[in-house]
Amino acid sequence: MSEVVYTMGIDVGSNFIKLVLMEYSDNPKLIDKHTEKIRKRNPTQVADEMVQIMLDKNKLNYEDVVYLASTGEGDLVKRKRGHFYGMTTHSRGAHFFYPEARTVVDLGALYVRCIRINEGARVEDYKMTGQCASGSGQFLENISRYLGLSIEEVGEVSLQATNPEISSGICAVLAETDVINMVSRGIRTPDIIKGIHLSIASRVIKLLGSLKAESPIILTGGMALNKGMIQAIDETLKEGNKKFVIHAHPDSIYAGAIGAAIWGGYRHFRLLEKEKQAVVA
Amino acid sequence: MMKQAPERLTALLDECKTLAFDLNFTYAKQWKSKSKYRLLVGYLPIYVPREIIHAANGMPVGIIGVGDRKQIIKGDAYYQSYICHLPRGIIEMVLDTNLDTFDGFLFPSICDCVRNLSGMFKLAKKGKFSRYFDYPQNFEKHIGGTFYRELIETVIHDMFLINDMKITTQHLNDSIALYNRNRELIEMIYNIRQEFPWRLSAVDTYHIIRAGMVINVEKHNEILEEIVALIDNDFGEPMDNIRVVISGSFCEQPPIGMIKSIEMAGCYIVDDDFMLGSRWINGGINNTSADPLNEIVNSFLTQSAPSSAIYDVGNPKSARLVSQVRNRKADGVIFCAASFCDPALLDRPDLQKGCDDAGIAHINFQFHENTGQFKVIKEQAGTFSDSIKLWV
Repeated sequence: MSEVVYTMGIDVGSNFIKLVLMEYSDNPKLIDKHTEKIRKRNPTQVADEMVQIMLDKNKLNYEDVVYLASTGEGDLVKRKRGHFYGMTTHSRGAHFFYPEARTVVDLGALYVRCIRINEGARVEDYKMTGQCASGSGQFLENISRYLGLSIEEVGEVSLQATNPEISSGICAVLAETDVINMVSRGIRTPDIIKGIHLSIASRVIKLLGSLKAESPIILTGGMALNKGMIQAIDETLKEGNKKFVIHAHPDSIYAGAIGAAIWGGYRHFRLLEKEKQAVVA
Repeated sequence: MMKQAPERLTALLDECKTLAFDLNFTYAKQWKSKSKYRLLVGYLPIYVPREIIHAANGMPVGIIGVGDRKQIIKGDAYYQSYICHLPRGIIEMVLDTNLDTFDGFLFPSICDCVRNLSGMFKLAKKGKFSRYFDYPQNFEKHIGGTFYRELIETVIHDMFLINDMKITTQHLNDSIALYNRNRELIEMIYNIRQEFPWRLSAVDTYHIIRAGMVINVEKHNEILEEIVALIDNDFGEPMDNIRVVISGSFCEQPPIGMIKSIEMAGCYIVDDDFMLGSRWINGGINNTSADPLNEIVNSFLTQSAPSSAIYDVGNPKSARLVSQVRNRKADGVIFCAASFCDPALLDRPDLQKGCDDAGIAHINFQFHENTGQFKVIKEQAGTFSDSIKLWV
């Protein structure tokens, strides 16, 4: 491949849209990235605007991008060539950050998903949280809002905990009731937040156990950069005497979008190859 | 810039969507109200020879379940928990007023549930006749054919007793011609979708075909003619999706949300067995015969679609599924049967083996017509799509 091959990946989450522009090759490079909070806007419009802004910024036309791939709630993206499922893209994104990755934990807004992958980032098995939101980023964000914190603050606040109070890890409604009780009992905010982190961490560890996870574990998704969350997972693992190496890349929120862009490039060349074979046949 | 779907197409699709899920069968009831000689004959999945009803001045009306559009309260009391959802919804309609004004009902032989349902209709005294339509499983003309002809003649007599209309050769040939055109137009839609699946979604296609089961064939043909002409033009944008055939949903119908979820997960549904009755007869039936009833009988014996409801010695269903996948240039099969659907679930291992032997990828899941959660199905279909795109 002599010419630069551009691909884009767009990951539409429930709160944020993540977009990346990549240079695809055997050794793909991240060229540009952007995250936008959806707030109360139309996600389809936000996604479309984000793509256009990134193209303009990099002096590219849509036609210059060989494959724009969506992931997450991809049906909200109208201008695209294909869609890849979240598990496939997060695995490839984690592999992009850490090629030695064997387990990926996608800490998303609506669920936590633990994925075991092979050396080529192919999904081998997975486990995820069920219907309840208590093990999710959205739940954490709701609780932090009740406590007067922004989602960006919760990680640091959690690190200040001295005596964490564990909340329900099964049901978001019960957990919220727990938090109300804790506030009325005068429990410190850092201890409440740390308790929630530990509760989510214990669900993650259970999933890892049932998955027969292998080290190293790569955290991706919105909660992956939450220092309090990483510490809670680390502590829970140590408590259970489990020796796992955990990584969280600074760009881990883009794992899905990066994975989509890389698989898009791979797929582009696969389709070209198939076309060639069809012509020969 | 992507070319938008024509406005007229959108309007037709909206019309079909409304018709398809009108559980009060308003259109059919209005049609009947215009003449005391008109008949409404309801039929359950999968197939009945609609031509005979049409020729007797009747409208065949497909009763193929309530989906998630009707709350089941009384229906659950009639069936055990290990029985599929379809008959519960239909009994609910019987006990309410949905099927009032229907003249008769036909219950094609699919499984014991439908057989029992025909008995319940009789006990509920709905309509002037309820007939279990026991299709021949012997495809010899002089055995199965004779039996089947007698069965059809019984139904013709049932209808005659109600409206005193005698079916003439010309009537029946005209009806056959109309249904031939109907099947031909539906096939044309599937053929266009095979090449350009982005022009018409699987959900839209579903609505179009399902609408045809609750309106008269003349009106449905008009709609189909327009749709075929419209989708024959270029619009929309192709997506890098895999192409799948859905198998196992011939009786209880999957919820619309499920069909949508499969498509959203990156799968173009290029063929299916939803509402198989509309496409049961492959090809046309001779409509110039002096004995058109004989032509209808022969078409069942020699032109029936593969289905779990019929015996397949000498013409294995698995081989026919493999051919269907090859002809539609599909990448894989999604086996998608209703929970507790004995015919579909008993056939599945053999069909899966056929796919395995032919190197065709497949996945399977089950549904209820009122399933409301599609997360797991979307996951399965999504990972299936990804695995074919990236690794197969």
